[in-house]
Amino acid sequence: MEYANFPYLTTILLSCIVGLLVILCIPEERKTQIKWVSAVFSGITLILSVYLFMAYDKAQGGLQFVEKLPWVESLGITYFNAADGFNLPMLLLTGIVFFTGVLTMWELENRVKEFYAFYYLMVLAVFGIFMSMDLFFIFIWYDVSLFPMYLLIAIWGTTRKEYGAMKLTLYLLAGSALVLPAIIYLFVGSGLNTFDITILMKPGTFTPDQQKFAFILFYIGFGILAGVWPFHTWSPVGHVAAPHGVSMVHAGVLMKIGGFAILRVGIFLCPEGWQHWAQLMAVLAAIGIVYGAFVGLSQKDLKYVIGYSSVSHMGIVGLGLSTVSVDGLNGAVFQMFAHGVMTALFFSAVGYIYDRTHTKVIAELGGLSRIMPVASTYFIVAAMASMGIPCLASFWGELMVFIAAFKTYPVRGALAVCALVVSALFMLRVVQRTFYGPKNEKFAHLTDVTFGLGIPRMILLATLLLFGLFPALMFDMIATASIPFFNGLP
Amino acid sequence: MKWFLFYPELYTFAGGMVFLSLSLLKQANPRRDYFAAMILAALGVLVCLISVNQEGSLFFKTYQVDLFSQVFKVMLSLGLFLIICICSELKAIAEWHHPEFYLLLFVSTLAMMMLVSGAHILTIYMALELSSYSLYVLVALRKGERVGLEAGLKYFLVGILVSAVMIFGVALLYSATQVTYVTDMMRVLPGALDSPLVVIGLLLTLCGFFFKLAVFPFHFWAPDVYQGAANQATAYIATASKVAAIAILIRMIAVTGDGSTYLAHVLVILSIVSMTVGNLAAIVQKDLKRLLAFSTVAHAGYVLIGILGMSTLGYSSVIFYAMALLVMKFTAFLVVVKVADDGSNLQMSQLAGLHRRSPLLAMALMVSVFSLAGIPPTIGFTGKFLVFAAAMEKGYFTLVLIAMINVVISLYYYLLILKAAYLEEPAEELPPLSLSPQIKILAGLLVCVMVAAGIFPRYLLDLASAAAAVLN
Repeated sequence: MEYANFPYLTTILLSCIVGLLVILCIPEERKTQIKWVSAVFSGITLILSVYLFMAYDKAQGGLQFVEKLPWVESLGITYFNAADGFNLPMLLLTGIVFFTGVLTMWELENRVKEFYAFYYLMVLAVFGIFMSMDLFFIFIWYDVSLFPMYLLIAIWGTTRKEYGAMKLTLYLLAGSALVLPAIIYLFVGSGLNTFDITILMKPGTFTPDQQKFAFILFYIGFGILAGVWPFHTWSPVGHVAAPHGVSMVHAGVLMKIGGFAILRVGIFLCPEGWQHWAQLMAVLAAIGIVYGAFVGLSQKDLKYVIGYSSVSHMGIVGLGLSTVSVDGLNGAVFQMFAHGVMTALFFSAVGYIYDRTHTKVIAELGGLSRIMPVASTYFIVAAMASMGIPCLASFWGELMVFIAAFKTYPVRGALAVCALVVSALFMLRVVQRTFYGPKNEKFAHLTDVTFGLGIPRMILLATLLLFGLFPALMFDMIATASIPFFNGLP
Repeated sequence: MKWFLFYPELYTFAGGMVFLSLSLLKQANPRRDYFAAMILAALGVLVCLISVNQEGSLFFKTYQVDLFSQVFKVMLSLGLFLIICICSELKAIAEWHHPEFYLLLFVSTLAMMMLVSGAHILTIYMALELSSYSLYVLVALRKGERVGLEAGLKYFLVGILVSAVMIFGVALLYSATQVTYVTDMMRVLPGALDSPLVVIGLLLTLCGFFFKLAVFPFHFWAPDVYQGAANQATAYIATASKVAAIAILIRMIAVTGDGSTYLAHVLVILSIVSMTVGNLAAIVQKDLKRLLAFSTVAHAGYVLIGILGMSTLGYSSVIFYAMALLVMKFTAFLVVVKVADDGSNLQMSQLAGLHRRSPLLAMALMVSVFSLAGIPPTIGFTGKFLVFAAAMEKGYFTLVLIAMINVVISLYYYLLILKAAYLEEPAEELPPLSLSPQIKILAGLLVCVMVAAGIFPRYLLDLASAAAAVLN
């Protein structure tokens, strides 16, 4: 471990907190000012997360930028933040999606102050989960990230918003209802009176039975958030109901929390439980991939299509984790990053279109590429990424996962690859119906994306291209964590 | 006699006497009564704080003063002070009854202070009855409406029935063990818990405290009484009275030492049923006070989870939970009292548009609701976490899992409250709520306390552990 000479990670959290407080102090009427403040503070977090990503010493590896502070000594709770090859991609993702999400919501007019306040609270917690190495803090951040969602969706959402918000909140908190007993179980079971993951993950801390028991609770509890089939049903409904910026954070980052927490908490603490349940994980993941693709095929609402494609793509993450191999882990983390950026671009593009046309129903749209070619481009690029076209980031994540999956589970791997064809089919169908074909005259007067409003989409698109062309940037980073972790397994 | 050990009680008694004399005056003067009560209660908190480190026993050792009792006395006096803070517009009580209202609050607090210090079964019983009788009258004092009288009567009838059961239990316990002192029970009971007579006697004795805490099946009075009493009186019953009940329950369970598995099983069942019944019944409530009554029943279940481990860790977690309950329940009632400014009962639908009428109250409601639901980073989460950890230490995994499922159920109705306050728009435009600066400061402070104690629980935790340590 290398202690930080400057608390970069805490600074990220602090810039969220300060941003939140500043927003709370601005009068409700000054909407533009609130938006600028939001953009500035989220920009700071983006710059910091990019800096951390680049400054991480890959040759040395391990935990870096470590910050440790005893919090409640009698319970062994430590404020312990650190960065390694697993969470740096996630921090970068959060920074990107946060900043672009704020910009995507630039045209919001209704209850602006409250929106950004809740938004900041949610993202603060997301950053917290990704950087924390203390079980107790991970749980706290996990719950804090969930409850602003209810108000964010129920107040500013669209289709069936109250139903979607309630369903999402209850599902995700049901997940935390499984996670908390598991955390206390391990805490009490270890007898070490500490929540420090680096201590608890030492081999021999828990018996194989304890690991098996706790892992399945973690897997289902966090898996609900990761959209694991059959606990995914909240996700399409929630995505559709949420306002665009929230959908971006939600599908882009929040679902990754689930996958990441399975890795950081479940797999780190209970590696034997992981190996024990890997078969089941692979089955559920494969079903999720196939199911998401087929259900997506029959959707009529643009956002539902993206929602189900998320279920399918998160299935790929789950498949990667279930292979119990370095390649699988690398692919899963890469896929989480790539899918996050990709869905953010999706929702950002749909957001622009919906704000103009006020419809997300595919049949009512049509020929949009001639009315707003730039906006269409963003969506089409995201769709291409979703299909796994080379040169875009998602390609590499999927490739790695499938290579690993074929080695371990040939049948399930083959099934999942077939499902990719279906998902390509439904994406192409959506693109064709929405952006080509006869033009809907009703929308002919609409204007295309201006440069200013296009900035968030351009950032996302550039990220997809960058990591699509230079995947080694990301793979080298993840490998610094996955290879030592894998070698350390008993 | 070491009278200084008795200062908090003496002071509270004197406060009550002040209002007894005020009630004899011919002319009603609500402002005068309110300010007198406020100042007296504020000083009362100070007196309790000063005597927090006292230790000793009084009245032939029937009265125990230790850190445990003193911490609870501080909580009780704080509860009294907080309740009086929201009595500035006591519209549900007739003006000429105001001195009596305060008198009863003081007397009830005095009785609860004696309850938490009681070391002899008769002292405990006397104190319990005194506090209950004050509350019966307090509930019935509600102006004009028959509902208050009805609730008072209901409360009274259930109450005397339970106290008869309790005194029967005390008699059984005495006939089996020939002890009446709590310290003697500590010596005798752990060895005698195999005898059915002792277990039944103990359980029947505990009924009196279950009634106070509104544990299933002694919760039937709660919804009606909460609904029927004046808002401030309900707030008092929901906060201070519950804190006292938790204290005496801990003291009585602690005498069994490591406890018997039989007793623990009964408590497990009561806890599970209380949580489930409370949460399920709360879902369908439209009246906010009724809803909070059922949530109290559920919280009684969570409290039992901490107690039934019968470990010092469990007791300290429950002491922390009592602190949390005091703050978060009070905040919820602060909102009820201030939104229903005409003193009527508050329906959920009346919360509509609260986020515009008073953003501060809406925020206070949000934080208190999340705290009640046990969402971090609030004091309510820390309390639940400690309670669950204590139970897990004793191997009650399933119980904790059921409790967590209950937390999810409860979240549903808590979110409905939030939805009413943040989402729904009132049918007709309502004017913004005008709050006095004191109330604004109080609401802000409570929000800060709930969040700060959730993030930095350390000092309260140490205090709770120290208080629990003296029990053995």
